[in-house]
Amino acid sequence: MNKTDIVISVKNLVVSFGTFKAVDGVSFDVRRGEIFGFLGANGAGKTTTIRTICGILNPSSGSVTVDGKDVSNSTAVLKPYIGYMSQKFTLYPDLTVHENMRFAGSLYGMSPTQIDERSRKLMDFIGLPQNLPDPVSHLSGGVKQMAALASSLLHDPELVFLDEPTAGTSPQTRAAFWALIRRLSEMGKTVFVTTHYMDEAEYCGRIALMERGRLVALGTPLELKEQFFPVKPLEISFSAPVQNEVRELLKKEGIASAVFGNNLRVRAPDRAALERACAPFAGKFAVREVPPTLEDVFLQAVSGRKNQ
Amino acid sequence: MKFSWRRARSVAYKEYKHILRDPFTLAVTLILPMIFVGMFGFVIDLDYKHMRVAVRDNDQTSVSRRFLQEMASSGYFNLTPVHSPAEADRELEQNGSPALLIIKRGFGRNIRAANPENPGQIQLLADGTDNVQASIMGTYLQGVVQKANAVFAKDNPDLSGGAESGARTGEQIRSRFLFNPELNSRWFIVPALSTIIIGFLAIVLTALTVAKEWENGSMELLLSTPVRPSEIVLGKLVPYFVLTFLDVLVVFVLAVYVFRIPFLGSFPFYMLACWVYITGALALGLVISVVTRQQQAAIQFAFAVGLLPSFIFSGFIFPIENMPAFFQYFTALFPQRWFLLISRTVFLSDAAPVTLAAAFGAIGLFATAMILLAVHKFKTDVEP
Repeated sequence: MNKTDIVISVKNLVVSFGTFKAVDGVSFDVRRGEIFGFLGANGAGKTTTIRTICGILNPSSGSVTVDGKDVSNSTAVLKPYIGYMSQKFTLYPDLTVHENMRFAGSLYGMSPTQIDERSRKLMDFIGLPQNLPDPVSHLSGGVKQMAALASSLLHDPELVFLDEPTAGTSPQTRAAFWALIRRLSEMGKTVFVTTHYMDEAEYCGRIALMERGRLVALGTPLELKEQFFPVKPLEISFSAPVQNEVRELLKKEGIASAVFGNNLRVRAPDRAALERACAPFAGKFAVREVPPTLEDVFLQAVSGRKNQ
Repeated sequence: MKFSWRRARSVAYKEYKHILRDPFTLAVTLILPMIFVGMFGFVIDLDYKHMRVAVRDNDQTSVSRRFLQEMASSGYFNLTPVHSPAEADRELEQNGSPALLIIKRGFGRNIRAANPENPGQIQLLADGTDNVQASIMGTYLQGVVQKANAVFAKDNPDLSGGAESGARTGEQIRSRFLFNPELNSRWFIVPALSTIIIGFLAIVLTALTVAKEWENGSMELLLSTPVRPSEIVLGKLVPYFVLTFLDVLVVFVLAVYVFRIPFLGSFPFYMLACWVYITGALALGLVISVVTRQQQAAIQFAFAVGLLPSFIFSGFIFPIENMPAFFQYFTALFPQRWFLLISRTVFLSDAAPVTLAAAFGAIGLFATAMILLAVHKFKTDVEP
């Protein structure tokens, strides 16, 4: 299998609900085996895009192909290859995890033994106990999410869509999720994941940034950082409590800064101008270059568009 | 991909688990029919018995006395003789008799003469404020007249000519006399109850199922799997079919063994008709659920579509024959009307199933149409 195979191809996708364009002319490709991160604020169009690729929402225009097949007219063929974990909690609350698994698996034509074997493996990996006797509604949020993830992976799909899988879960649960996601990628599965956590975005092979229905950035975390920050951001640390005064001075000079703990961070720096502006406080501060975070990239990309 | 029995079976099994996990719905489904039957069978007795009637016998012959004897022994009337107009007024106004029967002078003579041109005359004056009782009184009185005629063994068909009861024997009333000689309203009502119970309960049960999946998000998961609408529809029908059929059996057992209502028709035919009718009602519930996608709206729809026609357009409360022509045709759209006809006929007459072919065809057509509609209207995308 060629690693650079393109498995999902989205071209000029538009999805409208009435006059509202939830997705407005989005194009991107996803390669086989990669972890593709989808970032953006609520309402940016991430979930709508995912649903369209999964074949449960029809595009208004543009095309979506999975494995070279157009999604709109080959949903039946594609569904077995796709595993989808919705942002909404989709398991049946009155059934146990095992019963939910049995049901989901059987819809993909799996036999009870196949389902049990596969779910045991998944549960072991995620660290969930087997055969929880309670209905799902009695379980904690993290365990529910785990169970939902396991359920979407039951039929061993080639393409996995996870829509905010870690929202509202503990750090341990998130770590377990990401371990599983990396494992899936190692096995050659393509993982398409949306998240609000910038630290999680760092784990992705490539990231797409969405803003109000449009794609505003696409690339590996490193590429994006270099693209948006050809010059690294500067961080000013202080040895005396003059942070606010410095910030005022910078503002007068037209240099925007963000408060970062006790420090100030300047995202679009002109080092000479910065040092000139801060001259009255010489000796009370130090300036150093810092590597940009994805959060910096995200804010820069979004504010960059707003300025246009 | 083709229709998969396996997937349909999985959906059915899952639905069955939902039913088991929801003891309240289960209890309501099984107990409600018993309450219904108990209520209609024991409490509501539409039979009017021992109705008080003041009697002024102006004839005072053996014939008139024989007639009154016949009337009293029917059990429907409690007769109070009055001997003057003043006494009659007192009986009506102070003692609360709802009717006055006057036997005209010459009644006995005319009966004996048996002249069709000059029949024996009686007059019934009934309190019209209770129109149901007044018309029933007239109907029952006609029954007494017919019986009396037979007793007098004289061919004198116009004996009842003077009974101003206002009730005319329509076809419907004649059939009551044929198959329900005691005019027992319980015999008439209890067999009709399965129509009402299924027509209402079945629709409500399934109306919630698809809407629930939309509301709690599981529909999104369902749609992302290879399962097809036809498999979901079939899978959801089967467990509720079993549940509703249990209701039918409960009503049947109560009707036949507790209320001792005769079952004269074909039992296999009745069961077959029940199955078809249940399927149609359940599928209608699914159509409602599939279209509304919200439990609140679905339940309101189900009440309107299930309860109203069951009681009003089925002939349960208002006889279809007495409706204006438009409504007679209108009621034909509702399977409740046809199943009610099947139910009553099968219980109370031994008519061959062939005579009910049209009614059976109607409920079959309805069930087929509803299943197709539910599958066709099933949304396979999540667009709001």
